[in-house]
Amino acid sequence: MSAVELEQVAEEQAASALGAPWVTIVWNDPVNLMSYVTYVFQTYFGYPREKAERLMRQVHHEGRSVVSTGPKEKMETDVQAMHSYGLWATLQRSGGS
Amino acid sequence: MRGFVPVGGHYVATLDRVERRILAGAVADTAELLGVRLTDLAVPEPGPTDPLGEVTWTAAASTVPSDPALARLLPPASRDDDELAAEFRRLTEGDLRQGKVENLRIVWSGLLGPAGSLLVPRGAAPRWASALSDVRLVLATRLDIETDEDAEAVHDLAMGDHDGSSGRGGDGAETSETEELREALATLYVALTWLQESLVSAMLDAAGQ
Repeated sequence: MSAVELEQVAEEQAASALGAPWVTIVWNDPVNLMSYVTYVFQTYFGYPREKAERLMRQVHHEGRSVVSTGPKEKMETDVQAMHSYGLWATLQRSGGS
Repeated sequence: MRGFVPVGGHYVATLDRVERRILAGAVADTAELLGVRLTDLAVPEPGPTDPLGEVTWTAAASTVPSDPALARLLPPASRDDDELAAEFRRLTEGDLRQGKVENLRIVWSGLLGPAGSLLVPRGAAPRWASALSDVRLVLATRLDIETDEDAEAVHDLAMGDHDGSSGRGGDGAETSETEELREALATLYVALTWLQESLVSAMLDAAGQ
C-alpha cells in the first residue's frame, strides 16, 4: 500500500471509530479539469489548497478518492453537491470495497 | 475569443457574436436534455420573479436515464447498491435537475446579453464553472471520450491534426458529414475546455489571495 492509501485507510478507520461509518467517494473522469476538481474540493469541503490538490491527484491517478466521512445523511448531502458540480460521487459504508 | 481575466468584481472574457451564439446553443441543448427549453422561459428580469417557478418536473425517477449523456449529468449514488441509488435518485434528482438548469440559464442569458466583453460577476462564477462542466460532460459523451487518450485525440482533431487519415476519398458523403460533425463538436469541446480553464484558474487565484 502506498502512503496515501495507508493514510486513507487510517482516515476511514478513524471515521468508523467516531461512529461515522459512511464515506463519499469521487471517481475519476477524463473531462473535469484538474483545476476545477481542486476548486470544488477547496470551496465545498473547505479543505486547504494542499489537501484539495492531493485528493484531486489521487482521483486522477488512482481512479477514486475518499473525500469525506461522516453519517449517512451528511454523505448524501456531499454526494448530491458533487453531482451538482458535475463530479461523479458515490456513498458507501466505510471499509467496503 | 479571449479567456477570463479578473477585472474588479468581475471575470471578463471576450467572445464575438458567432462564438457566443454557438456556445449558447450548446448550453440550451444541455438544458433541453435536462427537460427545460430555455427559449420557452421568459427573458429574466432582475427581481424576485423565478423563471423556473412554473416549470413542473416529471415524477421522481428511480432508474438511471437511458441517454448516456443525461446519465452522466445525473449519475447513480452507488455502484453496487441499486436500492440505495434508487432511493437517492427519488429524493434528489428533481433538485439536481433544477439547480443545473438554473446554472445553464444564467450562462445562456449572459452569452446572449450585451455585445462586447462578457462580464461574469464573481458571485456568479461558480455557477458558470459548473454549467460549463455540464455542457462539456454532454459533449464528451457524444464524442465518446472515456479516457485521457480519447480526450487528447479530440483535442488533436479540433486542432486540425487528423492523425494521418486525411486520405478519406471514396467513403461517400455520409461519412464525411459524420466526420465534419465530429470535428465541429471537437472544436466546441476544446473551446469550452479552454474557456472553463481560464475561468477556474482566475477563481483559484482569487481564492488563494
